[in-house]
Formats: sequence, C-alpha cells, structure tokens
Amino acid sequence: MNFFKVVSTSILFIVLSGSNVMAYIGLCCAHCGGNMPLNIMGGGIPETHEYRFKISEMYMSMDGLRDGTDEKSTSDLGPSTAAGKFRGVPKSMDSYMTMLGSAYSFTDNFAAMIMGGYVRNTMSMTTTAGDYDMFSQGLTDTKVLGKYRLYHDDNLAPTKQLSAVAGVAVPTGRITIKNTNHPTKTMQGKLLPFGMQPGSGTWDPILGLAYQKAADPFWMGANFMTTQRWGLNDQDYKKGSEYTLDLYLMRQFNEKSLASFQLNGKAWGDYSDQPKAGKESGDCHAMLNPARDWMTPLCDPTNYGGVNLHATVGIQFQPVPLHVAELNLSLPLYQNLNGPQLQSDYMLRLTYYLEVPTKKSRRYKGFSAPKQLGF
Amino acid sequence: MKAIKNYFCLLAFIFLQALIISSAEGREDSFAKMGVVPSKNEKLAPSFTLKTPIGKKLSLKDFKGKTILLHFWATWCVPCKKELPTIQKVYEALNHNDFEVIAISIDRNNTENVKKYIKDYNLTFPVLLDQNQSVRKDYFILGLPTSYLIGADGNLKGFISGAREWDSDASKEMLSTLMH
Repeated sequence: MNFFKVVSTSILFIVLSGSNVMAYIGLCCAHCGGNMPLNIMGGGIPETHEYRFKISEMYMSMDGLRDGTDEKSTSDLGPSTAAGKFRGVPKSMDSYMTMLGSAYSFTDNFAAMIMGGYVRNTMSMTTTAGDYDMFSQGLTDTKVLGKYRLYHDDNLAPTKQLSAVAGVAVPTGRITIKNTNHPTKTMQGKLLPFGMQPGSGTWDPILGLAYQKAADPFWMGANFMTTQRWGLNDQDYKKGSEYTLDLYLMRQFNEKSLASFQLNGKAWGDYSDQPKAGKESGDCHAMLNPARDWMTPLCDPTNYGGVNLHATVGIQFQPVPLHVAELNLSLPLYQNLNGPQLQSDYMLRLTYYLEVPTKKSRRYKGFSAPKQLGF
Repeated sequence: MKAIKNYFCLLAFIFLQALIISSAEGREDSFAKMGVVPSKNEKLAPSFTLKTPIGKKLSLKDFKGKTILLHFWATWCVPCKKELPTIQKVYEALNHNDFEVIAISIDRNNTENVKKYIKDYNLTFPVLLDQNQSVRKDYFILGLPTSYLIGADGNLKGFISGAREWDSDASKEMLSTLMH
C-alpha cells in the first residue's frame, strides 16, 4: 500500500511540475537525432539542464516449460513423489511491473538517471497437494546510471553518436520473501524459489555502449548492456550476470508519432548456489530435508539462465510538447533455456515520459547569441 | 544673417540627433518586446549561396538593400511548423521593396518534405536548402527555430532564439523600426 502512495505522490509531483513549466519557448535542442525506444534501458536522455520522468507499466506472460530449445509438458516433470520427478511444477506466470525513472542532463554529453520498480508475480503451480498460485511482490533493485556521449558528428542534429553507460544496481529488492499460501501448511513461511524473489541482494556494476544513427525520417541504433554479478548476497549466492543487445529501427510518420521495430537479445547465467535457508533448514527441498531432491525445478539454481531473442514493435506518440507515450509488444523468436524453466510468452509495456525544463534549460532562456557574429 | 543660418543648422543637427536617438531607443524597445538580442558590434552577415527545392540558386547578396528576416528551420522541428504560417503573414503584410524573408531548411535529405511544407503552408518567400549544414554552421545555429535580423546595410542587427509570433503587432512594429 505504501508503494502505491509513493507512486501516486510521484505522479502528482510529475503532473504539478509539468503544469508549472513556464519555460517552454518552442525550441528544438541538442538531442534531435538521438531518439531511442523508451523500453531500452538508457534510452530517453533529457535535454541539457532538464529533468525527465518516466513511468512504465509492464505485463509479462510466461507460459509452458522449456529445456534448451525443446518445450516440455508439465506432466514430464510431475507433480509426483517418484524419483526424478518434482512435487511441484510451474505452469505459467503473470508478472506486472511498475517502473519509475528520472534523469537529469548536466551537459550536452552527460546525463545521470535512476530507475526502480515494483513487481507483482503470480505463478500458477500444480503440486502433489493440489494446484495453487504462488505470489510475491516487492521493490526491484534500483539502477543508478550515468550516460556519457563519447562521440557525435553534430550537436544539433547528429547523424551518428556513441555513448558509454556505467552505473550500479542497488539491492533494494528483497531476496527473502516467504511462501504464504501453499496448500500444505508446513510449506507456508518457507523461502520462495529464486524466480519469485524481486531482488538480487548484491551491488551489481552495469556497463554499456549505445550507438545511435539518424537518417531522416529513420532512427536506428544498437544498445549493449551488461549487469555483472561479482559478489555473494546475504543468502550466500549470486544471480548470473546478464548481457543484453538491443537493435532498433524507428520511423517518424509525422512530428507527433513514430513506429519502432526492435530485436532484443539477452543472455543470462544461472544462480551460483542455493540460498542459505535451503542448506540450513531445507527450504525448497522435498520433506524440507536439505539432503533430499528439489521440491520443484524452480529451486534448482542451475535451472536459470539461457539465451533468448524477442521481436518488439512499438508506437511512440507525442500529443503535446514535453509529453511522450509509448506502447510496446514483445514476442519471443528464439529461446534456449537452462531448463526446465518457464518460457516467455509475450510482453506488453506502456510508458509515459515527461520532460521538465529547469530555468537553466535552453528551452527556458533560449540559446545565447553568438559572440563571433558581434552579439 | 550668418548667425541665424548657424542657429538653424545647429537646431537641425540637434533635431537629427534626437531623431536618431529616439529611433535607436524605439528599436531597443521593440527588440525587447520581441525578445530580440541586439547586436553589440554590428558585423556583416556571412554570405551564402544556396539552392531552392526546385534547384534555383539564390545568394544573400541578391537581396542587398533590404531588411531581411533570415530564418533557420527544419521539417522535424515542431515549433518551426507552428511559426512558419506567422512568418508568411508578416511577409504578406510588409512591403517587399524594403523587406524580405529568407527561410533556410537544414533538413539533410528531405527535399520532398520541404516542398510539401511550402505547398501546405502556401509559403511565398524564398526557402533555401542547407543540406550539408554549412550555412547553419556559419551562423552558429545550435537550436531551432533561430532567426537573424539583417539590416539594409547588410549588417546583423538582431538574434532570435526560439519561436515567435511574427504576425503580431509587436513584430510588425519591430520590423518597421528596422526598415526606417
């Protein structure tokens, strides 16, 4: 409930800030040609000395199991107490994530940004004790990033630019959320499997490179980003490192709308070990005995990670200056998973983006007249 | 008789000085109303020769002796789209013997779109293409729209960053003080 208070207060702040913008004097500034789809991390850099606030609502559907590139049926894995089978098997998952982000550009070349989220996961399980929905919710890790433009061929309307991204994921997401509604009472209060925990528990460095190209009316680019997991968390494990490569092509139809097509590749590793609670108390093991098999494939740290490729189509719309909305739909093209694990079905994301010029912004005071021409 | 003549010469000189000062003050006021940055040290406007969308070459020197509103814009610039019709209106309202508008599009390779704008907005003033951005750079354009006021003597008189309502009374008054 507190989270929704934070979200509603933030939205109110954003709207009030936006309504107080007296600064807009009708000026196109230094980031024309630098447009990126808003769902790509590091996209949407504000103008110099301006803030931008971004709020996204994402729905992700995962349906069915996959091991490598082969789909698996639930009955291949259980639920059963027989050897080699699991007592609980996931069937599908619905994940809703609300993401808030803000950024500020200190110069034409450097911007800092912060983004965090709140996730609500519902995983449909079939178990030897009956079917039920496993549920978790909480804050995700918070990413703090800096983006520095290394190269551009023109400040006003660049046709090529290259930027470096560096930052850290702060472990604001929990990794100790417990099961509250398992049909077997003794399982309630036990640690939920990895995939249901919204955080990593570790401070993770983030590094990236973004190449952007503009050829009116097209924008295109490649965005590489990696989140490295080097240290262990309080539960004595770490998530696998992640690597993403996003390729995009955007076409502007008129000054208010554009369409985009993306190919989103991702490779990520498995977990390094089971949580401390599993080793000590048998959480996630059959009969809550650390020496017994995993209760569900979700508990095995090696059943995570893999490689996938999604295609994303999107529409971006700017009804009035300073306000941008974007809708994206992602579908999987290829999935090779360290399984068995749940496979991606589709993803929908709606983003609203607000630009807030400060008094130092060029859109408040305009550009300075050039001294070289006698001004 | 000679003393009377000298007296009238002195009066005429004082009157002319007052006229010049009041004219300069009037210009400053009208510049301020329109948010025009006046030149501190007037310099000759950089010369250029560019083509129109139909391939006709035009140079700045072709408009020598006229007050010029030199306007930089692009088809991807939303504020420019709102501003262009107001420029067309002021262009129609003022005498073309004394005043000219030159609009320079900095679109890199979108000549058809520029032509469409000219047609859609019935632009009758010269629109030139600066596809390789050379004139834009000579005029230190860092944002759009940006405009310069050039006097009949060919010197830069004022700089305007951002969109303006060019068909407003303040604009017409400002351009009139510049033309006379």
